[in-house]
Amino acid sequence: MNPPPPRKGTKPGKTILETEVLIIGGGVTGAGIMRDLALRGVHSILIDKRDLCAGASGGNHGLLHSGARYVASDLHSAGECRQENQLLKRLAPQCIEQTGGLFVAVDGDDPQFAEQFPTLCRGAGILCEELTVSEAKRLEPHLSDKLIKAFRVPDATVDPFRLALENVDHSRVINGSIYCPHTELLGFERVGDVIHAAVCRDNRANTQLTIRAGQYINAGGAWAMNIARLAACNDVHLLYSKGTLLISHDRMTHHVINRLRHPGDGDILVPGGTVSVLGTTSTRTDDLENVRPTVAEIDLNIQEGSAMIPALAGARYIRAFSRVRPLLQSTGNTDDRGAARGFVLLDHATQGLTNFCTITGGKLTTFRLMAEKTCDLVTARLGKQEACKTSTVPLPHGEACRWTEPGAAPKYWFKANNPDDMILCECEMVPQSAIDQIVQCAPGIEEEMTLEAIALRSRAGKGPCQGSFCGIRICSYLYDRGYYRDTTGLEHMRNFFNERFKGQRTVIWGQQAAQMELAEALHCGLLGLDTLENH
Amino acid sequence: MKEETRNFTTQLAIIGSGIAGFAASIFAVNRKIATAQIGNTGAVAYTTGYLDLLGKMDGAQAAVNDPWQALEQLRKSQSNHPLSRVAVADIHRGFNEFTAFLGECGIAYSQPEKRNITALTPVGTLKQTLCVPATMAAGPRAFAAKKPCVIIDFIGLKGFSGRQVVANLQDRWPNLGTQRIAFPDMVHGEIYPEVMARALEVPATREKLAYTLKNAAGQAKVIGLPAILGMHCPDHVRAELERLTGLEIFEIPTMPPSVPGIRLRELFEQVLPKKGVTLIPQQKVTALDFDDRGATLSLFDSYGPIRIQAQTVILATGRFLSGGLEAHPDGIREHLLDLPVTQPADRTHWYHDRYTDPRGHAIHRAGIEIDDTFRPLRLDGRPYSDRLFAAGIIIAHQDWIRGRSGAGIAIATAFRAVAEAERYLLAETNPEKRV
Amino acid sequence: MDKNGSYLVTAPKQEKGTPMADTQIATINFKEEALRLLPEGASFEACLTCGLCSSGCPASGIENMDPRKFIRMAELGMDVELSTTPWVWCCTQCKRCHHVCPMNIDISQLVFLARSNWPEDKKPSGIVRSCQMILATDSTSAMGLPPADFVFVVDDVLQEVRATQPAFQHLQAPMDKQGAHFFVNQNSREPMSEPDEMVPLWKIFHLVGADWTYSSKGWAAENFCMFSGNETAWYEVIKKRVDAVNELGCQVWLNTECGHSYYTMWQGVKRFNLTANFRLESLITYYARWIREGKLPVNSKWNTKGIKFTVQDPCMIVRKAYGDAIAEDMRFVTRALVGEENFIDMQPNRSANYCCGGGGGFLQAGMTEHRRTYGKRKFDQIAATGAAYVLTPCHNCHSQMEDIGHFYGGNYGVVHFWTLICLSLGILGDNERTYLGPDLLELLD
Repeated sequence: MNPPPPRKGTKPGKTILETEVLIIGGGVTGAGIMRDLALRGVHSILIDKRDLCAGASGGNHGLLHSGARYVASDLHSAGECRQENQLLKRLAPQCIEQTGGLFVAVDGDDPQFAEQFPTLCRGAGILCEELTVSEAKRLEPHLSDKLIKAFRVPDATVDPFRLALENVDHSRVINGSIYCPHTELLGFERVGDVIHAAVCRDNRANTQLTIRAGQYINAGGAWAMNIARLAACNDVHLLYSKGTLLISHDRMTHHVINRLRHPGDGDILVPGGTVSVLGTTSTRTDDLENVRPTVAEIDLNIQEGSAMIPALAGARYIRAFSRVRPLLQSTGNTDDRGAARGFVLLDHATQGLTNFCTITGGKLTTFRLMAEKTCDLVTARLGKQEACKTSTVPLPHGEACRWTEPGAAPKYWFKANNPDDMILCECEMVPQSAIDQIVQCAPGIEEEMTLEAIALRSRAGKGPCQGSFCGIRICSYLYDRGYYRDTTGLEHMRNFFNERFKGQRTVIWGQQAAQMELAEALHCGLLGLDTLENH
Repeated sequence: MKEETRNFTTQLAIIGSGIAGFAASIFAVNRKIATAQIGNTGAVAYTTGYLDLLGKMDGAQAAVNDPWQALEQLRKSQSNHPLSRVAVADIHRGFNEFTAFLGECGIAYSQPEKRNITALTPVGTLKQTLCVPATMAAGPRAFAAKKPCVIIDFIGLKGFSGRQVVANLQDRWPNLGTQRIAFPDMVHGEIYPEVMARALEVPATREKLAYTLKNAAGQAKVIGLPAILGMHCPDHVRAELERLTGLEIFEIPTMPPSVPGIRLRELFEQVLPKKGVTLIPQQKVTALDFDDRGATLSLFDSYGPIRIQAQTVILATGRFLSGGLEAHPDGIREHLLDLPVTQPADRTHWYHDRYTDPRGHAIHRAGIEIDDTFRPLRLDGRPYSDRLFAAGIIIAHQDWIRGRSGAGIAIATAFRAVAEAERYLLAETNPEKRV
Repeated sequence: MDKNGSYLVTAPKQEKGTPMADTQIATINFKEEALRLLPEGASFEACLTCGLCSSGCPASGIENMDPRKFIRMAELGMDVELSTTPWVWCCTQCKRCHHVCPMNIDISQLVFLARSNWPEDKKPSGIVRSCQMILATDSTSAMGLPPADFVFVVDDVLQEVRATQPAFQHLQAPMDKQGAHFFVNQNSREPMSEPDEMVPLWKIFHLVGADWTYSSKGWAAENFCMFSGNETAWYEVIKKRVDAVNELGCQVWLNTECGHSYYTMWQGVKRFNLTANFRLESLITYYARWIREGKLPVNSKWNTKGIKFTVQDPCMIVRKAYGDAIAEDMRFVTRALVGEENFIDMQPNRSANYCCGGGGGFLQAGMTEHRRTYGKRKFDQIAATGAAYVLTPCHNCHSQMEDIGHFYGGNYGVVHFWTLICLSLGILGDNERTYLGPDLLELLD
């Protein structure tokens, strides 16, 4: 284990870290770059102003595209997806559930679109099998009675958190590359055509640190334009599209279900372990920091989704979330969904820089390819010859990375059959030992992890009570272990509940309203977290 | 085999078995009103045992020290708040009557005083409340006097950590320490407060625990435990443990499933039938109809259908948790009679963005409207029925959670609703006395 | 058989429910089954995960399971684990979790389903064998006592009482009496192992002048087929019993001091939609009625030493069937028998009562260690009353409370109501005193 650099008590501006490559942005792309570099023998530091997958990487369906989604709009992306889908299924099976996907049209959908679909798939080399309506209904009983067409494609689901954690963990194992959470880039020290250092701030300790590297990679996703500007690069042009998704309490289908039409609102339903994820909406936004679901977006998703799966209209939802997707402005397309889904790698040579590049756009499915292209550029600039290995080296299983998988904790716990290893999160059945392992050796550990950081690395708080009970139990357990020592532990608890609430706010009705009333009575009425003073 | 409908007739039917419903039953019993009470008693088990009246003014960050003065203030600023619609003297009477009843039936309570008590919570924060069970009273006293004290926690008990309590109180209570011990004969696996509380009703278990406690206390003369001091005779258990240890002992409520709530539920379930109340727990009323002669309640229990004919009805069905109100995506509805619910314009306005926003969330202020005699109102502003009254947090214009006023609203409104039902019954029995 | 002659079956040691054969346990989709079986709004997805169920469940912790874990595992799709966990044989389906659940979620139905899903050769053999015995004769007796033997035993005992107890030389124990008002059932334990224990009941009927009869068919009370989760067998048992009552044209099927016999009949008639031309009643209700009517002039004057008694509410007739009404009858009878001041209620009680651990076939499942762990809570509750005796109208409760009393070093006895009624009336014969301790025997001398 290679712990992150000590940050407690550091004086402003005094801490200096050195590495070969600094990666800015802890999404799956940044994490993928980190591992790609490590496999080529290059040491890196990965920073994120929040934590892993805090942006679009964590705010999506978790869909591993077969490519079929893009056959009508973007054949190139479709091909990339097909290729990456096959690679990841082979190399990172622990992050993937091979659910298969269905494309379904219901009465009223454009029949011409449906007619072309298999031909287009064939053209892109994507396996596509037509199902009769009754076959499709047998596979997925929740499908609408108004179903008119159905095709099966090799879609799958992927856990982006596990993917990022495993990539970061493997990088550490290979060459001690370092991940620093809540480390925000403030600016670059640029001299001529070279960046000498990145000036950063630890947002928790509120201290400054300087990171010196040979190469700097901007993997900031939606923030990439802002980051590039800090290096005085004005060649990144992004538009922002806000998408909102919601999570049902139950898993509604076995397969990924796509609406067989031109992409629109609420037309993909993706199973995620024990739940399903429905989305998405798409609206332009300028605001990167305060994206939250709105009631209108939730209702629209449900209304559209229930055309495919009528049961979605009455389902219990436990959570909703929004994320901003960067769109490459150069396409000039007015329809954000129709915009090319490819990625862009900018070497910033035209901006007079030789050791800074930006990777943005793309999608979860092609993260590895994006990392490969980026690292090809960066290693060449470093004067190294090593070729990319991520298309051949399987992603190993990191011990502390397994807890994000739904159902993994209870299976482990049940088998271990140790009555003293008590369950702390009852909904997702996360035992003490999982929490212990996370705070001891998960990627991104530090002296005092927040409950949010622990939850990101596990299923804690993901069940129907959304952390309202386990937040208290885990917090109390961490005090117990001497891990939390003062009133900041309660702040972690309050912040955790506030963070979980963001996702609940728009879906609190029915059963969830009962759950929330009990939670608030406990958190505010008894514990007084609404009047907690900050330390 | 025929399933026969069982019929009951009663003067007053109380629908709902939360604090409001039980308070109403107690007031009715004390007034010799024939009473039937129906409702799932489960959620009473979530209560902490603390009886809040008013612990915080809406939107204010500071706690309320003098709830009686705060009530006067509330009356001026929020005249439609349910607590503003009950005379302060009646609220006082209601609390006295309610706590006296609990005391007689086996759970002694502190009397309502001039000021709120600063009580302890399981995470080491402080809370303003009006009355505390006698088993918890020494905690606030010890805190106020900053007496040397040890918080005890147990191997196998989740969600309660002495270290946590100490870490959060140490600045204000320097002589606070903690010790972890094993509960007698329960060394491995998870252990629930309920199990410990029941085990402590056995003298032999108390003796074993007392021995351990004495050692754990060290120099301290006061010890605090999670709420486990017995289930149906907590005062006796505490007295016995104090006798055996020579220490002063208090309880701190725990997160659900916690003992003080279960104590209240079991007490109500046992005592009220003894006092003549027809208590039908664990069931919900499926239909409520009114005609000239009275109200008819329909429900089922595991044995079959039940019909209750009542002269008057108190609706104390609570909010979302207990099912009195239902939150639908398109609005909030009252479950049983579809009474109009005053509520925010749409779901967008139910909650603020931030969960712990000190202003509280608008959804909690939603509820049914009542007139000055506590009769629920129709849309046209007329009473739904002269025989129907409402009590508890189903009534609009209050936020019981943020106001730390759940028990206060329940007891005060139940007091008034029973008084109004009694007035109606009296008039119906003696028409000539109708004023 | 244990020393008191109860039918504790000594099955092959099977403490952890270890499989005995190679048959596989099929996997149930518990989440879907819960949706199908439970009412809307009270299925597993309504669970708030508050833990009140597990907090008040004596089976919590056994096999590392509890009711909340059962629900969560179902919701998380751990169907293989739930389908195979031996915990379903430790949960007695007492429904206390359902009783305390603010959301009204009933787990016991899914436990029944899980039990029914186990192949017969993997189920606890004690329960399966008892069910097979029940099906083997027209008696429906779990101890396999055939009709002719039952008729013989009853007559044999009757003749002896008539001969040895002059006050009862005209005692009756009618058999197959057409048109009798009461059809009286009998737990097999009495005719099989302690036949004299039937006599107090006959004396009570004699005293109140009841028009009653035994039946040579369908007379037995117990039903291990229900406990084994074998629905077809459950149906067959109940069908036989219902037919027997219908044939004799009795108006009331009177359940004697046995808990689950009432529940299995009452539920069975409803579940299988059987035509029963009679009412199902519990003997407890009649004890109370006859005392109120003065037909059973019991009093507590005999209890000169102030011996303390408590009552165990059988889950099967209180929480799971009649509700608190019958619990009140039981207390009324007890107070009349032992004196108001000598009755100490167990806590908690009535519908909130804890199962003792003798129910659901646990006594016959061969899981002794688990059963005693379960029973520790009941032992504590009995100990907390300080009572010298527990009264209970249930044979499984009776055996379990005796066993845990011995195991945990308690010094209480367990008695039937009929014993105490006859004791109070001064008509308890010498052979009818098996369950009396020295303190009570001393009062009789």
